[in-house]
Amino acid sequence: MQPEQFNQVFKALEAEVRKVIVGHDDVIRKILIAFFGGGHVLLEGVPGLGKTLLVKTLSGALGVSFKRIQFTPDLMPSDIVGTEVLAEANGRREFQFKKGPIFAHVVLADEINRATPKTQSSVLEAMEEKQVTVFGESHLLSSPFMVMATQNPIELEGTYPLPEAQLDRFFFKLLVAPPTPAELKEILKRTTGAENGAVSRVLPEDNGQLINEMKQLLRQVLIAPPIEDYVVRAVHATQPGPSSNGGKAAPSIKQYLRFGSSPRGAQAVILGAKGNALAEGRVHVSYEDVEKVLYPALRHRIILNFQAEAENVSADQVLTEVVKQVART
Amino acid sequence: MQAVSQSLRGASPEQLLDRGSAQLRNHVLRDALLLIVPPALACLYGSFHLFQLGWVGQFGLAALVAGTISLAAVAVFLLFQPKIPSRDTAAQKIDQLTGAKDRFVTLATITSASCAPELLGRLRREAAGLQSRVEIKRDFPYRVKKPFYYSLIGAVLATALFHLVPVLQSKLRPVAPAERVRQLAEKVAWRPNLQEIARSLQVLAVKLEDPKATPQEQQKLIQQMQQQIEQQQRQQEKQPLQQQNKEEQQADRNTLNDASATLKSLEQQSGGGQEQQKDKAGGGGDIKSNLPQDGKGESKPSPGGDGQSKGDANAQMSDGKQQGQSAQGDAKGEAQKAGNEKTGQSKGDSKSDQKDSNQSGGEKNQEAAGKNQSNNAGKGSRSKTSEDTPQGAPPSDRMTQGGDGAGGLKNARYVTVQLPEEVGAEEKGQSSGTKNSKNNRAGAKVPVSNTPLPPHLPDAPTEQQRMPLEYRGIIR
Repeated sequence: MQPEQFNQVFKALEAEVRKVIVGHDDVIRKILIAFFGGGHVLLEGVPGLGKTLLVKTLSGALGVSFKRIQFTPDLMPSDIVGTEVLAEANGRREFQFKKGPIFAHVVLADEINRATPKTQSSVLEAMEEKQVTVFGESHLLSSPFMVMATQNPIELEGTYPLPEAQLDRFFFKLLVAPPTPAELKEILKRTTGAENGAVSRVLPEDNGQLINEMKQLLRQVLIAPPIEDYVVRAVHATQPGPSSNGGKAAPSIKQYLRFGSSPRGAQAVILGAKGNALAEGRVHVSYEDVEKVLYPALRHRIILNFQAEAENVSADQVLTEVVKQVART
Repeated sequence: MQAVSQSLRGASPEQLLDRGSAQLRNHVLRDALLLIVPPALACLYGSFHLFQLGWVGQFGLAALVAGTISLAAVAVFLLFQPKIPSRDTAAQKIDQLTGAKDRFVTLATITSASCAPELLGRLRREAAGLQSRVEIKRDFPYRVKKPFYYSLIGAVLATALFHLVPVLQSKLRPVAPAERVRQLAEKVAWRPNLQEIARSLQVLAVKLEDPKATPQEQQKLIQQMQQQIEQQQRQQEKQPLQQQNKEEQQADRNTLNDASATLKSLEQQSGGGQEQQKDKAGGGGDIKSNLPQDGKGESKPSPGGDGQSKGDANAQMSDGKQQGQSAQGDAKGEAQKAGNEKTGQSKGDSKSDQKDSNQSGGEKNQEAAGKNQSNNAGKGSRSKTSEDTPQGAPPSDRMTQGGDGAGGLKNARYVTVQLPEEVGAEEKGQSSGTKNSKNNRAGAKVPVSNTPLPPHLPDAPTEQQRMPLEYRGIIR
């Protein structure tokens, strides 16, 4: 796989999704970066912004299998990962594993915060290990595998906020913003007219090999040691307490933090920056790439304290302070 | 992969990085040099200046020069070493200049062994395509930093101080005559034709240093030396200027002129020194006494040796006997303090307290009078107020006119004792009292009157109560 080919495929996918989705260019790019980076995405936005449509369109453009799980309070883990059912085969009855909807390339966990923590945690193993275990038997998930979860920041009654451990497994947390007037006009034009935009498949039928090559190429993107140090310092600056090397977050950051980012955050930043570099047609990571993916990669990994909530300080504001305080060199 | 990386090393983006880092290194070196060189030059200049002044010898000069150069080199090294720019720094600057989005930084820092050669080759090609946007000499100009200007200003100030310090020191601490003569001798010794004079000057310097030599003898020696130099000058003037040795002869004449001028100033200094010694011995020329003259109770102050006394002091005495006893007992101490502090500029009239005067010792007064008289007379030309000399004879039983004072002073003519200053100041509503006069506040506050007091009775008790003037006559 050549970088030019990656860029070509990437741009084709973006263009294909844009046929259906109006706006959200940055979200589309980040989802694709997360997909080729081997991560999962948490989409957060108010209802009606096209989150579900975006995921469906993306999976259609990728030409991979797609399953949707609507998370509700009464949803059980077996409804997601599958269960063993008693079936009759060859004249005898035996338990057979019936795969749940998690067995797909792209899984949409719609309104994931409405399910109970027990159900939410059922996807933990699948997201991290790419396998599920039912009745002591592990079942590998197909590759590529990506969970795209959505959650609603309002209507929090009867919801169960995702635990930190599960949040940490999402590569990016993307905020889906409301459309601008121009975008809204375009949305109306596309959805209320006679013609509905249909997405067509970009990747070939046998796309597994191609996707794996693209994933492989993304990891080979060059990154200079000073830029790696920059990422390390930025992630390290989110730690509120003293660390092994004696450094800690600045007082302006520390006062709002309860927990800092985990090493998964740094991994996500580096891989996301590499994906962004490839998407922009480069084979090396720049500081700009890092700063572009720093927010979606870390905003759900830093846990704000009560003071931040009381003062209505968001994670993005804290990260902005981090970027200000961490020098590039 | 290693071969690929080696082939890449010789390519132009790496050369550009090398040239950029070398340019930045030169900048840092220039910064360090510009910061250190001005003070180092100032130090060298100061060393040579001290050498010219004779404060340090040749070895001292060599040590100072060597030390300065060594320190400067060490300082430049210490400033330069930690700031040596790496290739990363140059790469970042090139990235900024070319908009290469960190391509040069990646090229400069990445290890070729850990990356895909295809991607590295592509990165190198992209960087090579961008390097035409930058030209090292044009885009890496050297700019003089602010510390250089501070260093330069500091060095100039230090150089100026080198010039000012000897001047200030000579003003604060004048060179001893013997030392000046010795310096003059060294200067004269450079002239081959004036070796005899130089030797004589050396001898003079030794004699001047002799503690047994009196000032008169020193002055005499200087005069003799001056005569010798004048004689040499006359001889030099008699000789016609020869074309071959014209410059030499002119230099000799100049040296002799300098020597003559120096000796003249020394002679004056020696004379002044004698006067000063006399002044010190006599308690100072500013001493005034209100010792009455001719029984009139009034005396005008002598301006003193340096003519700074401007005050009038009126002494109130009733008769000759009273005058003798009313001489102020602390006149000597007051006069000496006044002479030392040169605070004899008391304005306004001051009147003495008769009671206090009566209580003071008359013998001390006599002693003080004698000293001050001889002192003023000894100053000769400096005391130009002979017309102010109070007329009338001092009390014959207390003072001997023109005689030798108790301190051995000769030719004393008159003594003026200054009254406490506050008496006059308070009467005029002024507050110009000195510390000494404040000590005499009790006496100074006593109202005085020029009403004649009754004749002094030796056995009568002294007046204990000070009474207001208006009641004095009634009680009496």
